[in-house]
Amino acid sequence: MSAPLPDESFTLTINGQQTQARQGERVLGVAGRLGIEIPTLCEDSRLDPVGCCRMCLVEVGGQRRLQPACTWRAEAGQDVTTESPRIERHRKLLLEMYLADAPPVTDPHPLTPLNEISRLAEAHGALDRFPAACSEREGREDANPYIGFDPELCISCARCVRYCDEVEAVSAITLAGRGAGTTIATAGQIGLLDSTCELCGGCIDTCPTGAMHEKKPLAHTRTDSEVSTVRTTCNFCGVGCQLDIKVQDGRVVQIDSPPAGETLNDGNLCVKGRFAYDFIHHEDRLKTPLVRGADGNLREASWEEALKRAAEGLLGVKERHGADALGFVSSSRCTGEENYLVQKLARAAFGTNNCHSCAAT
Amino acid sequence: MFGAGAMTNSIPEIRDADLLFVIGSNTTEAHPIIAMEMKRAVRRGAKLIVADPRSIWLSEIADLHLQLQPGTDVWLLNALAHVIVTEGLTDQAFIETHTENFEAVIEAVADYTPEKAEEVTGVPADMIRQAARMYATTRKAGIYYTLGITEHTHGTENVYGLANLVLMTGHLGVRSAGMNPLRGQNNVQGANDAGASPIYYPGYQRVDDPVSQAKFEAAWGVPLSPNDGMNLNVMMSALAKGEIKGLFVMGEDIVLSEPNAEKVERGLNQAEFLVLQDIFVNETFRFADVVFPAACFAEKDGVITNSDRRVQRVRKAVEPPGEARPDWVILCDLARAAGYPMPNYADAGEIYAEMAALSPKFAGISHDRIGEDGIQWPCPDSEHAGTPTLHMDGPIRGKGEFQAIHYRPSAELPDEEYPLLLSTGRTLYHYNAATQTRRDAGPVAKQPRNFIEVHRRDAKRLGISHGETVKVSSRRGELTAEVWVSPRVRRGCVWMPFHFGESPTNRLTNDAGDSVTGTGEYKVCAVRIRALQPAATPPA
Repeated sequence: MSAPLPDESFTLTINGQQTQARQGERVLGVAGRLGIEIPTLCEDSRLDPVGCCRMCLVEVGGQRRLQPACTWRAEAGQDVTTESPRIERHRKLLLEMYLADAPPVTDPHPLTPLNEISRLAEAHGALDRFPAACSEREGREDANPYIGFDPELCISCARCVRYCDEVEAVSAITLAGRGAGTTIATAGQIGLLDSTCELCGGCIDTCPTGAMHEKKPLAHTRTDSEVSTVRTTCNFCGVGCQLDIKVQDGRVVQIDSPPAGETLNDGNLCVKGRFAYDFIHHEDRLKTPLVRGADGNLREASWEEALKRAAEGLLGVKERHGADALGFVSSSRCTGEENYLVQKLARAAFGTNNCHSCAAT
Repeated sequence: MFGAGAMTNSIPEIRDADLLFVIGSNTTEAHPIIAMEMKRAVRRGAKLIVADPRSIWLSEIADLHLQLQPGTDVWLLNALAHVIVTEGLTDQAFIETHTENFEAVIEAVADYTPEKAEEVTGVPADMIRQAARMYATTRKAGIYYTLGITEHTHGTENVYGLANLVLMTGHLGVRSAGMNPLRGQNNVQGANDAGASPIYYPGYQRVDDPVSQAKFEAAWGVPLSPNDGMNLNVMMSALAKGEIKGLFVMGEDIVLSEPNAEKVERGLNQAEFLVLQDIFVNETFRFADVVFPAACFAEKDGVITNSDRRVQRVRKAVEPPGEARPDWVILCDLARAAGYPMPNYADAGEIYAEMAALSPKFAGISHDRIGEDGIQWPCPDSEHAGTPTLHMDGPIRGKGEFQAIHYRPSAELPDEEYPLLLSTGRTLYHYNAATQTRRDAGPVAKQPRNFIEVHRRDAKRLGISHGETVKVSSRRGELTAEVWVSPRVRRGCVWMPFHFGESPTNRLTNDAGDSVTGTGEYKVCAVRIRALQPAATPPA
């Protein structure tokens, strides 16, 4: 029998339900379409599946051993079971081994990413009952201001390393050491700032345990006050990445990407979008209107005075030299509504079409 | 040639492309997340052709890197067209159905042989042939370009040259193909859409069209000028000539960002009145008469339109500092102070509704509809789902018109006095005037000061070394910068970013503008480098 064509679909059974799949699809994806959740740790939709965490093992008809759903290819007529006492025993024991190796922080910071192991341990009744594994993993302080790494939380799933290789494709970090002492490092143990790292922070985004974490928010936020999230659009380049701004006590304390698959940036951000937000609350921000005084210096003024001065100044030019002696420079850094208003201001309030922005691409 | 300046296709389509032709775009630095999609496509097996005078990150993984001499784009593009035409790789059915004036292009490119192109551009003739064949014979082949194409005195010709390639191969109305300008700033697309333009009302309706004029006069209740206004570059020249006497500037540091900064300063010095609206003090402040403190993106509501025409929401997360106010509030107040009865908009959504009602392209978009996902225009009515890919049904409204183009040298080329060719651009770590990024530790740690990339042979000849501070000068100005001896630039070429107020690269650049758009020639001007006086020898 010849292999089915890539686009040809076939039927298989998952948990007794018949379903369609296409050649090359993995069991995890097919089950996901049916709404069947299979726990995972090393899986990320942006990365090639590797099947190293063993969390997603399922029963496949005809296979003696459990098989990883993330790498196992769906085949015609296959019979897959994702929930059974055997699978549940496996998941619980595996999680208990992870707990022994990388115990979650008991009092997590409100901004540390959700520790997937704690969440799964609770869901599967896994207990922290084994003695700590031997690992004294090597960790080192890194001078970069954004990305921190706590080797004790690391489970060596390599999502960070694979993200750095496959998505950002700069290969700045690598798995280092062996066995229980495996950790994440740079080649040659150089600092991230000296490596090929572009500080995109994707390693933090993909890490399931919080071993890769952000340095900035931990320094700025309190643990006892609520954090709210506001979905917005990044203010830098023209890609239009969606952001989740985290706010605590009226301050922006973190910027995160919405989850992979939800928005056009697919969970990704760059160094500017994810980290360059200190300007928002910077002490240098302009806080009051300014007008040029008789002494030639800019001085603080009320809104009323500044608006009056500005209107009179521009109208004066119009009276003396005509409306086309005025120019209005709008901004492609501002919103659509604001650009609409600048051109309306130029055209309707002052009578000139001399209106443009830095938008001559 | 086939509609408004905007990506014909969508960002999420990039990952499925079979060929990417990236020209004049250092995508990994200027549009990092679009670059991730390109990396994903290449990882999947897509071919990548990069045309850029510099070695850039993408050229390292490209199948072909056409490393052309800056400013010779028209030669390269016409030579590519020459190969496609002479080897019969055109899409005749598409050309006959959807285009006109192809004969003019056939005639125009006849003399642009790959061999002659090699002499001018420095790109090997065989590589040009190979690139043309790969592009023409791949169906899902998309062109991606940015300011490396447009910031030339022949920027419009460059764009025509690319559009000719798209039309003759029928790469339009096909997913993961098309012609895709990647817009430089978050809302370049939205600013144009909203009518921040000397010739268009919102929604690309001409100011010299009496019907449009009447429509906007009725909506706004005042008579409007039918005369085309000045584009920004012309406005800056008019300022220097004393024809513009009063200026209102929102959210741009024109002294740092416009080419030929000295001329801009001269103009501002003689202006009678300058109003600025910004979030930080910048280099233009010393000329201002009034300054309004504005809210930043995290402190206000509105919409931003990205490169693929996606209208997305900006939402207020925190309060502005001190007495700072959202730009839209200030603009309404200023209009009222000047005697124009701007309506009392309750929120940004009402302003958007007013614009949408006047602009058929966005008529179906509203704040409520945008929700979490964004909507891509055209979106003519409230039932319309938006348009991810343009030209899908019957590729073109009317017919796509070919434009024959010919090479013209850049306005200023190196000579004996100024022997090096300077191009400028953005880096990954900073953003334009860098008032935002230079206030964050990471970008500062990576790039603390201005630098100039120099080829090692030029450095040797000039007796300058990596890390040394040198004086760079052009006919328009001079500054100091740190030398980076770099394998990225061609011999005879140098490259600088423009992010640093204390070393403003745009003192050097040429404000000679494109004949149609007026965009300044940031990518080509002539400079020279001088070592600073060597420091006194330290005592033994």
